[in-house]
Amino acid sequence: MKSRFMGLLLAAGLALGLGAAKADDTQANLRLMAFGGDAQLTAIKHAIARFNTKYPNVKVDISIDPISNGWGDYVTHVLSQFNANNAYDVYGTAIETFKTFETRGIFIPLDDFIAKNPSYSDFDPSLFKYSSYQGKTYFIPIGWNNIMINYNRKLFKEAGLDYPKDWTWEQFRDVAKKLTKRDAAGNVTQYGYEVPNQNFFVQPWFYTNGTSVLNADWSASNMLDPKVAQTLQFLHDLIHIDKVSPIPGKDAMDNQFLAGQVAMISRGHWILENAKKASLDMDIADVPSKVNDNTVIGFGGYAVSKTSKYPDLAKELVGALTSEETQKEEGELGGGVPGRKSAAETPGFLAFPPSAAMYYQTLPNTLPVASPANFQDVEKIFMRNYVAMMSDEISIPDGVKRADQELNDSFKRLAAQQAK
Amino acid sequence: MSAAIAARRSDLERAQARAAYLFVAPSLALYAVFVLAPVVVTFILSFSYYDPMAGSRWVGLDNFTRFFTDDRSQQIFWNTLRFTFFAVAGNVTVGLLLALALNRAMPAYLLYLFRLAYFLPVIIAAAFVSIVWGYFYGDDLGVINYYLIRLGFTPVHWLTSSHNAMMSIIIMDVWKNAGFFMVIFIAALQGVPKTLMEAAIMDGASYWRRFFRIVLPWISPVVFFAIVYASIGALQVFESIVILTRGGPGDSTRSMSLYIVEEAFDSFEIGYAASVAVVMTLVILVITSLQLIASRLWVRY
Repeated sequence: MKSRFMGLLLAAGLALGLGAAKADDTQANLRLMAFGGDAQLTAIKHAIARFNTKYPNVKVDISIDPISNGWGDYVTHVLSQFNANNAYDVYGTAIETFKTFETRGIFIPLDDFIAKNPSYSDFDPSLFKYSSYQGKTYFIPIGWNNIMINYNRKLFKEAGLDYPKDWTWEQFRDVAKKLTKRDAAGNVTQYGYEVPNQNFFVQPWFYTNGTSVLNADWSASNMLDPKVAQTLQFLHDLIHIDKVSPIPGKDAMDNQFLAGQVAMISRGHWILENAKKASLDMDIADVPSKVNDNTVIGFGGYAVSKTSKYPDLAKELVGALTSEETQKEEGELGGGVPGRKSAAETPGFLAFPPSAAMYYQTLPNTLPVASPANFQDVEKIFMRNYVAMMSDEISIPDGVKRADQELNDSFKRLAAQQAK
Repeated sequence: MSAAIAARRSDLERAQARAAYLFVAPSLALYAVFVLAPVVVTFILSFSYYDPMAGSRWVGLDNFTRFFTDDRSQQIFWNTLRFTFFAVAGNVTVGLLLALALNRAMPAYLLYLFRLAYFLPVIIAAAFVSIVWGYFYGDDLGVINYYLIRLGFTPVHWLTSSHNAMMSIIIMDVWKNAGFFMVIFIAALQGVPKTLMEAAIMDGASYWRRFFRIVLPWISPVVFFAIVYASIGALQVFESIVILTRGGPGDSTRSMSLYIVEEAFDSFEIGYAASVAVVMTLVILVITSLQLIASRLWVRY
C-alpha cells in the first residue's frame, strides 16, 4: 500500500516536474532570418510552433530571403544589419558565407549548446567540422547537398547501357558518347552530359582528380596545379572533341534534363522536386573517379548573433529549427538532404530516386565547396575564366594563368583589408 | 544707380519669388535627395574603401589606380564604347529608315498598324524582351538556329562565342529601340515644309537628293537629339546583357554598368564600384560634349 502511495506521489511529482519543464513563462521577442522558399518557410513555421509549446510567451518574427541575388547580396545585408545595430537573433546561412561571418566575429560559439544536446551526435561529424573556425563551432547544420551524377534511366535503357556504378572518367566519357544522339545532318538532338555552368556543380571534377581551384586552407589560388589544367582539358574535350555537351551558357540545363534532352547532369538533391513533378525515371550515381571519388558538399546552418539579448533562448530556437522533426519534414519536402542521419533514413526520403540512400553513404567522401572570406570574388573570377576556357575564348594554359593572377590579386586585397 | 534699383525688390516681386520657391521646393527636394545626394555620396565613396560593418575609410586614388591598371576594366570600357557605337548607329539608322518608309501616303489603318508594330517593342520591358531573345539565340534549342539548320546552314553560337555575343545583343537592342526613334523621326519629317519639297520636285530633284539636301538638314536637330539620347542610354546598357549573357563569355559583353553592380553588390567593393561609376559619368560627359562640339558642323537650326 505504502509503495503504491509512494508510486502515485512519484508519478504526480514527475508530472508536475515535466509540466514545469514544458512551459516556460519567459517573455521575449526573437527575430529569425532564414533563407529558402515556401517548403523551408513551412518547416520553419512548424518548428517555431513546437518551440512555442515550450516558450509560449516568446514571439518569433521570421524573415526569409530567397537568395535570388546570390550569397554576396545576403552577406552584405547581414553585415549592414549589424552595422545599423539592427541584427537578428538567429541567422540561417550557407557554407559559402561561413568564413566571411566567422572572421567578422558576429556570431557566438555554440559548442556548449551542442555538448548539452546529445541528439546532435546524429549528424555526420564532417558537417560540424566544416561549421567550425579556430576550434569553435558557430553553425548548426541543416540541409546539405552533395553533387552526384543524375541520370535518365530511360535513356540508358534505350542505349542498352548498364546503370553506372563505381566508374572512372574514361568510362563516363564512353557512356556520354553513347548517350549523345545526332540527326542526319550531324546536329545534336540529345546530349550525353551537361558540362556544368556553375561553380558548385563543377567542383567534383577537380576533387576526383585530387586537386582544387584553391589551396587546402583556401588562402591562395591553386590554378597552376597541372591537374587543374588536366581537369579543364577533360571537360573542354567533352564539349569540343566528343561533342557530348554544349558549351556552358548562362542558363543551367535542368529543364532539358527533365525533358530527356540531356541524359546526365551534375546536381544535388534539390533537383528531385522537379524530377518528381516531371515523372522522370531517374537515379543518381557517384561522381566518376580519376584518383578518388570525392564530391563536393554545400550546406546551410543556423547561427546566433553575438548582439542577441537572449542568447540562450536563441540557442533553444536553433535547437527547434534543427530538431529531428524539423529535419524530417525538410528532408521530405525536398531541397536538401537532412543533416541528421535518422531524418535521411525515413521511407519518405528513401522513396525516390532508387539510390537515395547513396546521398548519405557518400558523405564521408565529400569536401566542402571552397569558401574563403572572399568567396563571392573567387567564384566570379573562376567562373568567368572557366566559361571563357570552355567556350574556347582563351586557351587553357592562358586561362589558368589569368585566373591564378586574378585570384591571387583578390586574396591580396582581402589580406590588405583584414590587416587594417 | 541702376544696380541699386535692381537690387531693391518691390513687395510684389518678393511675394512672387517666395511663391516661386515654394512651388519649386518639392521637386528640388526630391532632386536633392534622390539625385544630388547619391551623386555626391558616390563621388566621396570613390575615394574610399567601404566595409559594410566598419563603414568607409579614405584610400585616396587607390580605386582609380586599380581601374586604370586592370586589364579587365580596359576590356569592359571598350565593350561599352563598342556597344554604344553600334547600338546608336543601328537605332538611329533603322529608326530613320522606318520613318522614311512610313512617311508616305498610305491608308490610315495601315499606317497606324505599322507604327504600332514597330513601336510595340519599345514599351515592353527590356527584361521580358531579353528572355524571349534568349530563346531565339539558344545554341541547340534556339529558334534561329532551328531554322538555320533546317535551311542547311551551320548553327551560329549567338551568345556562347565572344565574336558574336556583343553583336547579338546589339541586334536585340536595335530591334527593341528603333521604334522609339522612328516615332520621333516621323514627327520631324512631317515638319519638313511641303513648299520646299514641292519646289524641289518641280526642279526635278531625285528622292535621295531631296533627302540629303532638304530633309536631312531640316531634321538635323532631331537627328542630333536622337544620337545624344541613344548614346546616353547605350552607355548605361544593363538588363539586356544581364539576362542574355551576364557579361560572358569571359568578359566579352560585360558593360561598365554591369561591372559596377557586380563589384558593388556581389563583391561588396562599394568604393571601387563608385570609382567606376565616376569614370562612367565622366565618359558620358566627354562623349556628349564631343557630340555637342561636332554638332556645330552639321546641325542646322
